[in-house]
Amino acid sequence: MCKKILFKIFLLSIVIVIINFIYSKWFYESDIQKHSDIINLVRDIPNDADIIYIGESSNITFRGDDIDKRPISAFIGDFFPKLNTYDITKPASHAGIYKVLLENIPTDNQVKTIVVTLNLRSFNAEWIYSNLETPLQKSLVLIKQYPPLFNRFLLSFKGYDIKSESEREQQCRKKMKSDKFKLPFDFQFQNVIEWDNWMANSGIKDSSGNIDYEQTKLACAYIKTYGFQIDTTNNPRIKDFNEIIKLAQKRGWNLLFNLLAENTEKAKELVGDDLIFMINENAKILEQYFQNRGVKVVSSLNSVENEQFIDQDWTTEHYAEKGRKTVAKNVSEALKTWHNEFYVEADYSITYHTDFFNDCDDKNVVWGQMHTITTELAYSGKKSSLTGAGNDFSITLEYPLKVIPDSLKQNIAIELMLNQASLNHNTMLVMEAYGTDFNPYWVGFDLKSDINEVNKWVKYNKNIIIPDTIKQADLIKIYIYNPSQEKIFIDDFRITVEK
Amino acid sequence: MLFNTIEYVLFLPIVVIIYFLLPHKFRWILLLAASYFFYMSWKVEYVFLIAISTLVGYLSGVLMEKYPDKKSKLLLLIFNLFANLGILFFFKYFNFVAENINLLFDKLEFGRNIPLMNVLLPVGISFYTFQTLSYSIDVYFGRQKAEKHLGYFALYVSFFPQLVAGPIERFSRLTPQLKAKHDFTYDNLSNGLRLILYGLFIKMVIADNLAGIVDNIYATPGNYSSLDILTGMVFYSFQIYSDFYGYSVIAIGSAKIMGVNLMNNFKTPYLAKNIAEFWQRWHISLSTWFRDYLYYPLGGNRVKKSRWAINILIVFVVSGIWHGANWTFLIWGALFGILYILEKIINSTFRLEKEHKPYSLWHILLSIKTFGLVTLIWVFFRSQSFGEAINIFSLLFSGTGQITEALIIPGYVWFWLIVFIITDILLYNKRFDSWLANMPLIGRWIIYGIFIFSIIVHAGVENFPFIYFQF
Repeated sequence: MCKKILFKIFLLSIVIVIINFIYSKWFYESDIQKHSDIINLVRDIPNDADIIYIGESSNITFRGDDIDKRPISAFIGDFFPKLNTYDITKPASHAGIYKVLLENIPTDNQVKTIVVTLNLRSFNAEWIYSNLETPLQKSLVLIKQYPPLFNRFLLSFKGYDIKSESEREQQCRKKMKSDKFKLPFDFQFQNVIEWDNWMANSGIKDSSGNIDYEQTKLACAYIKTYGFQIDTTNNPRIKDFNEIIKLAQKRGWNLLFNLLAENTEKAKELVGDDLIFMINENAKILEQYFQNRGVKVVSSLNSVENEQFIDQDWTTEHYAEKGRKTVAKNVSEALKTWHNEFYVEADYSITYHTDFFNDCDDKNVVWGQMHTITTELAYSGKKSSLTGAGNDFSITLEYPLKVIPDSLKQNIAIELMLNQASLNHNTMLVMEAYGTDFNPYWVGFDLKSDINEVNKWVKYNKNIIIPDTIKQADLIKIYIYNPSQEKIFIDDFRITVEK
Repeated sequence: MLFNTIEYVLFLPIVVIIYFLLPHKFRWILLLAASYFFYMSWKVEYVFLIAISTLVGYLSGVLMEKYPDKKSKLLLLIFNLFANLGILFFFKYFNFVAENINLLFDKLEFGRNIPLMNVLLPVGISFYTFQTLSYSIDVYFGRQKAEKHLGYFALYVSFFPQLVAGPIERFSRLTPQLKAKHDFTYDNLSNGLRLILYGLFIKMVIADNLAGIVDNIYATPGNYSSLDILTGMVFYSFQIYSDFYGYSVIAIGSAKIMGVNLMNNFKTPYLAKNIAEFWQRWHISLSTWFRDYLYYPLGGNRVKKSRWAINILIVFVVSGIWHGANWTFLIWGALFGILYILEKIINSTFRLEKEHKPYSLWHILLSIKTFGLVTLIWVFFRSQSFGEAINIFSLLFSGTGQITEALIIPGYVWFWLIVFIITDILLYNKRFDSWLANMPLIGRWIIYGIFIFSIIVHAGVENFPFIYFQF
């Protein structure tokens, strides 16, 4: 019987080898594009990279009234114009994700320095047991360093950290409950749940003594987000960062950890010094821990003022232009350790732009709705913006019109390339304007009446006279609106503010 | 722990290896521990429910034998039914009943509401409750001797391959097999693995790929054309079949490796010529349970025609409610009952009840008719509410005949679905393992290769738990 079983195991091995060959040759790549397109973030980086900045949404998030909406990584590039700076940005990601992405950087890539975002929040229970973890982990399975068929086997048989929302919530609650505070002073709460409950029950009072529920909710969010103490022995993020350190050593990269700015101003205002103490202590622990392991750590923890935080009703590291530039400046100063000879002071003297162009391929051109960019079809380059079938809005120019001198803004010239599969839609070119001195402004132009050709790229032009009422707009938005199920692709979108 | 996860891929071989390494007298301990571990992988607390059900079943059985007078036995049986069905009612039906009473109170402006419970339905509770009940009823009627060994009884209630979704086994069939000494045999291993392979194929490649498409259609039916809705309905028929059939086949295969033969739960039901035959081929362990413990005690068919029809309706309505606490399940069961009765009346009136050769034109036409009717009735099973089901039907008959662009069905899904349908037709009245055993080695290994390829490369990647786990 043993012989029979061994023979069958041998046959099975042959079958597996054949299937692995077939899968790798004809199916693997399309599977990667379907389930692990996160890898394209790495593949998009040319081999001549000098600096790679890896981070989450803090890199790319901007405020509508930012004059320069580029990411932190691009601002860093301004300080090193002779070096090639690229970014790998995956919203909601953390060190565990960075590690897998960095492993996938080809060994022949010339990159010398890796800047890794060190987000304090990513060490807390809410993030560790976040609902986003399952899709994130799933997106990494196919790009792990195993044979392709084994990766697909893991994906099919749910061989990754897969848990339901309720399971994650339970884990999070358990962790919050079991992590007892150990502080060098008397503190009335044993854990973050007690603290959060106290805040929720006592509330933050407004000037008339009534509970301000919005502020109370925000204060609770701050407590749950920052009310923890990093345990460097058991925190999974520490393990992930340590893996990154090992990888950098193996690949000979310079490694810089970029401790992001948190809204400590708001934390102090809403919760008080106890929370600030914990934030600072955690930052100190991280700095010391990683510096002891030979990593350079740059801290921007308290460098960004409250006003520069975009999300005023939640805890994020999303900064407006000045905040992003502050972080970039700090990182660039730290990068001088390895690239001092290439450092220059960035020139930020330009105060407005009048010509905006988005070909959907340049990562440093940042408009709204960039998630609509697709490789499905393109007029120039490889990408365009897909509207319809769930994407109601195309890539969107968002700009504070008021910064352009009145004498230079009489007219807006719009030019774009468009490709539609049918005429079964009511797509429009839309301009919106918002400001303090006028009611929200909206104007739409039917596209179908001007373009009636299908399945080919067609140029669309439009001139819009800027009404005097909106010339001081804090924000204008220009985009294509397509609420239908019909797909319409937009490329080479140019908007020029003219005299 | 789902059968189609890496955890089970590791769990089963470990249990099997230890099982055959252990001396026979300790094997029940291993299987019981493995079964409880398997069950606790969902939620540790659930283990108390299965333990209570086991203890109640065990004690009432032993006491019924100790106090054999009718009155004592009846009291013990009532206690047993009360305890087991009480747990089932609390977890499965309490909120449904309370919600409906509250609705009534609101209509009558009663001004009071029954508070709802925030409890999760423990997986497999309906299955092991029915398994325990069948034992107790059999002991009561003297058809079964009471089990004195608590360990074996606990194993009968919790045997992991069939614990959470059946087949619902009878004590007289399963326990002797659990007690018997099984040697490791090549035939059991190969047949078990063949069944597991086929079960994984139909669950992971067919059911899980269809699930996403069906979910989309049922989530936003208004976005789809009539042809899409029809496609969704047909796909659901295949989804639920391959999902449940897949589970059953993996369960049977897992037990088979250890020498335990579980009953077949499906026999190509969509090739049934009428509703009665469909229920002889679909979820057989449940159909026979209801036949033996509800239909026969009600009088079966040895009563007047009108009473027989009522009996049939009762059985199907109860069967519907067994599936879930929702009016849609009740309607689903009632519709099956009505169709069952109508078909019987029509067939006997027009003397249509005659044998048709398998694969004959008549057989094919009658099977298509049965499949069509079942597909329509499944709409109630799948819908969350009566209104949702009616909406599906209205869209089915009011929209366009064109497939909308939003309904993207990859080519490989069609391909594997056709492979499944062909395999199912070929398996008419046969089981996959024995069908394959008669093939030459090369043919068998080509089929293994195809199924392994499909399972790894084309398995659905979304996590869709087995549908019947919720019952």
